[in-house]
Amino acid sequence: MGERDGIPISLEELNKLKEIAERARRKVIRMLFYDQTIHVGSSLSSIEILTTLFYRYVKDGKDPINRDWFILSKGHAAPALYAIMSERGLVSDDDLWKIQDISGMLQGHPETFIPGVDMSTGSLGQGLSFGIGVAQGIKMRGGSGRVYVVMGDGEQDEGQVWEAMTHAVARKLDNLIAFIEINGFQLDDSTGSVKPKEFLPDVWRSVGWKVLNCDGHDFISLISTIDEAIKAKAPVVIFANTVRGKGFPVIENTKKQRSSPDDARKYLLNA
Amino acid sequence: MQGNIYSMRDTFGKLLVEMGEKLKDIVVITADVGDSSRASYFKEKFPDRYFNVGISEQDMIDFAAGLSATGFKPVVVDFAMFLMRAWEQIRNAVARMNLDVKFVVTHSGYSDSGDGSSHQCLEDISLMRVLPNMKVIIPADPADIRRSFPVIMEELRGPLYYRVGREYSPSITDGLEYDFKLGKAYVLKEGDDVAIMGAGVVLWDALRAAEELEKKGISASVINLLSIKPIDEQTIEYYARKTGRIVTIEEHSIYGGIGSAVSEVVVKRYPVPMRFVGATGFGRSARSQRDLLDFYGINYKSIISSVMELLK
Repeated sequence: MGERDGIPISLEELNKLKEIAERARRKVIRMLFYDQTIHVGSSLSSIEILTTLFYRYVKDGKDPINRDWFILSKGHAAPALYAIMSERGLVSDDDLWKIQDISGMLQGHPETFIPGVDMSTGSLGQGLSFGIGVAQGIKMRGGSGRVYVVMGDGEQDEGQVWEAMTHAVARKLDNLIAFIEINGFQLDDSTGSVKPKEFLPDVWRSVGWKVLNCDGHDFISLISTIDEAIKAKAPVVIFANTVRGKGFPVIENTKKQRSSPDDARKYLLNA
Repeated sequence: MQGNIYSMRDTFGKLLVEMGEKLKDIVVITADVGDSSRASYFKEKFPDRYFNVGISEQDMIDFAAGLSATGFKPVVVDFAMFLMRAWEQIRNAVARMNLDVKFVVTHSGYSDSGDGSSHQCLEDISLMRVLPNMKVIIPADPADIRRSFPVIMEELRGPLYYRVGREYSPSITDGLEYDFKLGKAYVLKEGDDVAIMGAGVVLWDALRAAEELEKKGISASVINLLSIKPIDEQTIEYYARKTGRIVTIEEHSIYGGIGSAVSEVVVKRYPVPMRFVGATGFGRSARSQRDLLDFYGINYKSIISSVMELLK
């Protein structure tokens, strides 16, 4: 897995990514049979980004400076991460269906005791700072690893993001690629009605980040954007337009995170 | 009052450089208080291993966590009070992942006397000791720093909170022969009628109180707890049994601090009457740390009156 950056995508690989994403999407929705409190909407917003990163970019390995790191700063999208991890063979189906259960391994938010999780998250606004520390450590040791951080748009309300945003530029970290998913919703309401967000790309650009945009559900768009990000000589932030609840019509593009097992069953039977 | 050649922070600053020479993985991170905390001594020697992240305490913690994840040994240096701004980051990143990050705070307690209550930190022991995986160490004086800090950097892994003051540093443990060991208390004076226990610069008052009590025919043990978490349960129990009464002293709130930690052990192992000398509110400005300790009654006089109360 990984290390495919810069290689043009074949139709075969594109179809493979689509299939993986679709299976992961169904797994997230199927988790609703077992637990109705998981954040399905936010997870479905992240599926294609995670699929692309893990199947084309993130280099595995044990050496902390010559492998890539993946930090799910929007930790509530853990079901999406776990679904991709199950596709990669890191967790079993049995683990998946025991998500959040007292007897299960998979926590409501990522924990480093789960194989394949690089940072324990769940409290918003912390992933980028951790990523900066890792990226700096890699640079100091002369490693080749890159750091990928995925954040949400609501998460941008956190003051720590400002601290981190300015810090990464001060350190000139060109081995750091951040995503901000623009799905338009945070916990209570649409992002715009809670706090304006439209100025964000201007802010990141002004501070000194290379700012890119993409369609966060389109593999071609994701791949061409990440390929460009990798070539940059500055920290890069990719604003990825996504849809909360993407592909699950009963909650799609609403602030609703959850749905019933019945809705999940209907979707899985018809889709 | 006997003086020390170095203040608490100067001693720490110099020792940090020595440790940096010995351990190449040490990196020092601060949030724009490098000069006041003496972390900047390290910068002069090892500019590439020194990071001032700016006035960004929250980012500083997760940044240190990230450096630790790539194999470095980060020492985060900040004023005690402003590190508490990032308590949640310490909790959710460093403690939760059990990362090898050391927190060294200067300006603890009332030691930033002039700046007043916004800068004085009387809540940190309580906030740190509640965290899983976190260790809490409070040296009494520069000699105690020289005894403990090298061991902490060389031998102890995982999150650790190390509480250092500023200038005020009466001599307490100079010339005493003991090695620092995690979870081990040290007896500064033996006595039978009461045990005075505490940590930090206020142990000077504990020794002074013991001297005064001696004149009244009351013999007091004085215990330097030094390691607040883990705490030396055996020694605490031994002196509870031996003396039958305990007075604790701390430059910190009595709610959740050192007195609370001792009482948790005492009620479990051998309940005896206790009194708590410490803060119950915020501080205020003063020209010296000593003025504040006297103003709030965190001194030998309060220890003596507490002992007299227990002996009634």
